[in-house]
Amino acid sequence: MTSKESYRAELRSAARQLSDRGLYSAAKWASELLVDIDPDVPPSSSASSSRATPSTSSSARPLSHLHPDVAIYRRRLRSAAVGASGDVSATPPAGVSYISTPIPDDDGFDGGSNDRYLLAKSYFDCREYRRAAHTLRGQTGKKAVFLRCYALYLAGEKRKEEEMIELDGSLGKSDVVNSELISLERELSSLRRAGSIDSFGLYLYGIVLKDKGCESVAINMLVESVNGFPWNWSAWSELQSLCTTTDTLNNLNLKNHWMKDFFLASAYQELKIHEEALKRYECLLGVFRSSNYIQSQIATALYNLRELDDAEVIFEDLLRNDPYRVESMDIYSNLLYAKESFSALSFLAHRVFLTDKYRPESCCIIANYYSLKGQHEKSVEYFRRALKLNRKYLSAWTLMGHEYVEMKNTPAAIDAYRRAIEINPRDYRAWYGLGQTYEVMSMPFYALYYFRKSSYLQPSDSRLWIAMAQCYESAPLQMLEEAIKCYTRAASCNDREGIALYQLAKLHSVLGHSEQAAFFYKKDLDRMEAEDRQGPNMVEAILYLARYYKAEGRFEESEYYCTRLLDYTGPERETAKSLLRGLKIAQTIPSMDIEHFGS
Amino acid sequence: MEDEQIYLDPNSHLGVFLRSCILAFNMLSFEGVCHLLTNLVAYYNSNDSTYEMAEDDDFNESDYHGLLDDPELDCESSDLEEYGLENDPQAAEIMLHMQKNALPKFLEDNEASIDSKIKLDDDGAQSDSLAPLLNNFRSDDGLGILRSRWQVEGYLNAQAELLEKDAVSFPLNSFTATLKQLQKIAPEFHRVKYLQYLNALYHDDYIAALDNLHCYFDYSAGMEGLFSRSTSPSEFEVGRYETALLCLGTLHSHFGHPKKALEALTEAVRVSQQNNDDACLAYTLAAICKLLSEVGVSNMTGIIGSPYSLGTTTGLGTPLSTQQQLLVLLKKSLRRADHLKLTNLLAFNRLALAKFDLKHVKKPLLCFGPEASMKLRTCPISVCKELRLSSRVLSEFGADELLQLNDTGAFSTSWLKNLSTGANPWSTKLQKSRSLSVNDYDTFHFHAQPSPIPGSVLQLAGESYLLRATSWEHYGSAPLVRMNALVYATCFADAASSLELSSAYVKLIQHLSVFKGYTEAFKALKLAEEKFFSVSHSRIQLLKLQLLHERALHRGNLKVAQQVCDQFGVLSSSVNGVDMELKTEASLRHARTLLAANQYSQAAAVASNLFCTCYKFNMQVENATVLLLLAEIHKKSGDAVLGLPYALASLSFCKTFNLDLLEASASVTLAELWFSLGSSHAKKASYLIHQALPMILGHGGLELRARANIALAKCLLSHPSFSVSEDPDSVLDPLTQASEELEILEYHEMAIEAFYLMAIVYDTLGRLDEREIAASSFREHSMALENPQDEENLPTHWV
Repeated sequence: MTSKESYRAELRSAARQLSDRGLYSAAKWASELLVDIDPDVPPSSSASSSRATPSTSSSARPLSHLHPDVAIYRRRLRSAAVGASGDVSATPPAGVSYISTPIPDDDGFDGGSNDRYLLAKSYFDCREYRRAAHTLRGQTGKKAVFLRCYALYLAGEKRKEEEMIELDGSLGKSDVVNSELISLERELSSLRRAGSIDSFGLYLYGIVLKDKGCESVAINMLVESVNGFPWNWSAWSELQSLCTTTDTLNNLNLKNHWMKDFFLASAYQELKIHEEALKRYECLLGVFRSSNYIQSQIATALYNLRELDDAEVIFEDLLRNDPYRVESMDIYSNLLYAKESFSALSFLAHRVFLTDKYRPESCCIIANYYSLKGQHEKSVEYFRRALKLNRKYLSAWTLMGHEYVEMKNTPAAIDAYRRAIEINPRDYRAWYGLGQTYEVMSMPFYALYYFRKSSYLQPSDSRLWIAMAQCYESAPLQMLEEAIKCYTRAASCNDREGIALYQLAKLHSVLGHSEQAAFFYKKDLDRMEAEDRQGPNMVEAILYLARYYKAEGRFEESEYYCTRLLDYTGPERETAKSLLRGLKIAQTIPSMDIEHFGS
Repeated sequence: MEDEQIYLDPNSHLGVFLRSCILAFNMLSFEGVCHLLTNLVAYYNSNDSTYEMAEDDDFNESDYHGLLDDPELDCESSDLEEYGLENDPQAAEIMLHMQKNALPKFLEDNEASIDSKIKLDDDGAQSDSLAPLLNNFRSDDGLGILRSRWQVEGYLNAQAELLEKDAVSFPLNSFTATLKQLQKIAPEFHRVKYLQYLNALYHDDYIAALDNLHCYFDYSAGMEGLFSRSTSPSEFEVGRYETALLCLGTLHSHFGHPKKALEALTEAVRVSQQNNDDACLAYTLAAICKLLSEVGVSNMTGIIGSPYSLGTTTGLGTPLSTQQQLLVLLKKSLRRADHLKLTNLLAFNRLALAKFDLKHVKKPLLCFGPEASMKLRTCPISVCKELRLSSRVLSEFGADELLQLNDTGAFSTSWLKNLSTGANPWSTKLQKSRSLSVNDYDTFHFHAQPSPIPGSVLQLAGESYLLRATSWEHYGSAPLVRMNALVYATCFADAASSLELSSAYVKLIQHLSVFKGYTEAFKALKLAEEKFFSVSHSRIQLLKLQLLHERALHRGNLKVAQQVCDQFGVLSSSVNGVDMELKTEASLRHARTLLAANQYSQAAAVASNLFCTCYKFNMQVENATVLLLLAEIHKKSGDAVLGLPYALASLSFCKTFNLDLLEASASVTLAELWFSLGSSHAKKASYLIHQALPMILGHGGLELRARANIALAKCLLSHPSFSVSEDPDSVLDPLTQASEELEILEYHEMAIEAFYLMAIVYDTLGRLDEREIAASSFREHSMALENPQDEENLPTHWV
């Protein structure tokens, strides 16, 4: 049996089992993946045919004829496919093969209990959880027990949500807990001790423990669950949310199933190891060629790596294939916001609005739209709506903070950022936002703490270093040496806007380090030339260089820069002229003895 | 119960309370009623003694009335009413909410966890000290009793106070766990974060302290101000982050980062100027003063360079020295505090001024000519004045101050205290057993009403006594030092932090060691160590090292002395400009050890190095001591001529700073120097000693007196017209006195000298028996000097 065929068989059965137990989102995930397995491969010769796929059947992805900019992305895709084509099933390092996990059979039901289960499942589908649980009382089959416990858990969650609103304001913090947790934990732990628990039960046990705050035990349970039944994506994502550090991730004792790759990729993404995540996704793309999920994850990773153009291509493509998609479209909207693509964002907002306006993602997209239009109040309103729908929506808190900063409502901004940090203390954007807020309040020294924090979490982002440097440079602090250190750091990590180089040059010239200043002006000038930009910075750089070389006695270079200055209008032109005049005089004096060269 | 009619005046306190309860009930939404019912059912089912307090009959009448008559309670119920009327269900729900969660869940969760934590805690003593606190949580009158906002706040305030007073007895982790639990219960209490900050700060956890500080101010936006709670929050919509900066500054100065602290504080000055926060500005100025006075900053330029800068306001072109800036700042801050009626600050500033006056010569900002500087002296009168003024603030707390307390939770704090003492007799016992921080008269203290004087003011007032003791130490009056330290230790122990209290004890023990010898001092030290157990890096430890060093030097046990000296050096921070006093003392002791080992050139090098440091950091008082030491070194090396200028310089320093005792000691040294130049100078020497004698006999310690006596005898003996046989007592008296005192001190080297002289005198007198006694004592001491032995175990394992 070929691997793809086996993947298909596994997923098919898994999706059925998952949806049978009311684990809808996991079932959805599995079914999507099932459809996405590359259909072109004939079942027999998997290895040889997949080697052929990259060149020929990559046209199965409707990329090449869609967009002129697709070239970059295709290159990526191809390299991924080539990497994968080496051995399709060998995404793990050579020599390690996937462990095939037997698909567990469903419980055998005798007729009566099966009927009860059917009834309970219907109640469950109608969201009458307690009723479903009641129907299943006394049933001992694993499946029935799971559904009963799960229904109870969901009933508790529902009540919790309601209580949250009863007891508190809309976005206030709340400490309401699911009242079923304790009894559920008791039951599940006794079941586990008795050994009569299946992977689904373990998954439920895991989330109950997680809600109770026993995280390490929860991790163990979830690991056990995914080792027994690897196709439950919900279990994986719960596990991933518990892996807040790379250490925890590396210490997991996971069986080497292909689902593990999905998990690891997504975990890496979450831990901001984007390159690694990207690599894994591209490998997976070899098998699940048309998976929208993987595409969106790749696009997200690219966005996080600030490869905006590449990411945009993928998102556009994604939206074309799956026009009613809402998931991860908020990231697309962030991207469009960053690129200030007005019409595209407006189009996207309109589209998701019609698809489902009460999804947190759609609210966030609409908020972004308003924000780009400069209507910050409305934007905040939509962010609040998004947060009402999902109070753990990290990016919405951060973005709302940005909006509040725009509205000069600093306490609200700080509160929003802090909420984001509460949800994920590693969110460098929120830390950065806090720093910015305090900087706006002209408290640069206080802000430094936050910038330090954010650059600690994301040391490769030049913007954070620049922000820190600007704090050091600000009028009250005037710690130029430290500012230079920060700018140097920023310049070394791919500073697109070239702020760092320019500032380094300026600071060095202020401090009288003319050599370094000239070096950085030159570098900045080269960069501007390479990107074909113009501007006052350019004039300044040229002027400085002209003066510097003149002072150094390198007249030819100086003359070169002076003549370049003559192309510009304004006072610099006059300065250049006088400099040139000075150069002439300076050159004539020493060139007395080498007169014959001139003549 | 049903048929019992209860007549209740609707206008009485209880009546108003019930009415507002009914009102709040009527305003409740259906969900609110549901929650209330659930809670009632939970209470009914739990049926434990959680609520017993309320039904308890052993409230005695007067207590009850005391409680009721208090304006606070009134305020609470009216609060409720206000809530009930204005922001209807929400406020009522806050209370319910608190109640619901605080009661069953907390107890359930904590009973196990805290208990086990205590058991896990290795340090039995530590957890024991926390036991009464935790007991509040655990047992039946537990944290569950904290129902309203103010009560939780009161609890937090009490903890904060305890932390600041006696941080060591709070085990870091278990208190953090408690706070976390509390935060879970009441997430809207940002003050919990502040407590976490304090906890981390006092346990020297820099990162946690920093994180919690920022966290606290991010959430609270400085609105629940630390000293000035803004009554109308709508007034300040921008948030008051200057307080945050002030705290950040104090944090950095606590951890010994003077530069960062100054940056933070200057920013605080700027922001509070921006926001017109005068109170914060005054506090910030005071904090800067404290920093400047504590940290050795040799040069201000480049640290505070911004244009608002403190020195330029005097309108003088020349830049001011650190000390001058400090004085200007202090005066400014004092004026501001006076203007704003910030009593704490006023007291603090006066103390700071007194400290400044103690150690600095006030130079007029403009002075011309050499003769102007000739008259410069410190002014003890102004020190006294400031000290008196600073403790006067106590009297300024009148009845009107009580009204301002109502929103700080002070009432609840004392209510809690009262509860813990009243309801839990055994916990009181526990508290008493470690009664170091409780005044002796405390048993009579009635807790139910908040004391009109806040603890912080009391602390400052107490501190003035401590400073009095210190200043007398400088001026050289031992009895007054002892008296002031005693006053402090007995009357202000309640409000004092363990650090301050320990320094009062240190002063007392030092006094003992100087006047009664080491055996007594070590006995006392042992007692003190029991009181201040496990205080790391504390003054007590320092004192132990000091005593050990002195004793080792006296006994001639140089190896031990060197060892102790090294330990001294390790104690201070390695950062430049921090822990200056400790560093000075360490190198002073180093030089003295070297001197005792007869390594004169090295000792002189260390001492002159120290002199340079002191000069650089403007530590004039220390200069006098160092100069005297240099003179001693030269005296011992036999180079009396070189020693003379040092002794004279030291003498003049002593005169300038009114250091009378040190001056006397310098005079003795000077006399000895003269004497060693030859017997022709004996007359001059004896004149010098006679001049200093009143001071020495009145206030001097054993060593100084012995030295003076021996020198006196030597002068007499070398006098050509003096014959022993005519007037033996005039020589023998001082010698016997000196030898007795030196025996107490176990100062072998000098004792040898004394007995030697005695033996000679007896020999010339022909009193052979007494001569033999003196000679055998002489032998004893010289044996002891040659083979120093350690009776006690040596302190190798402390540091």
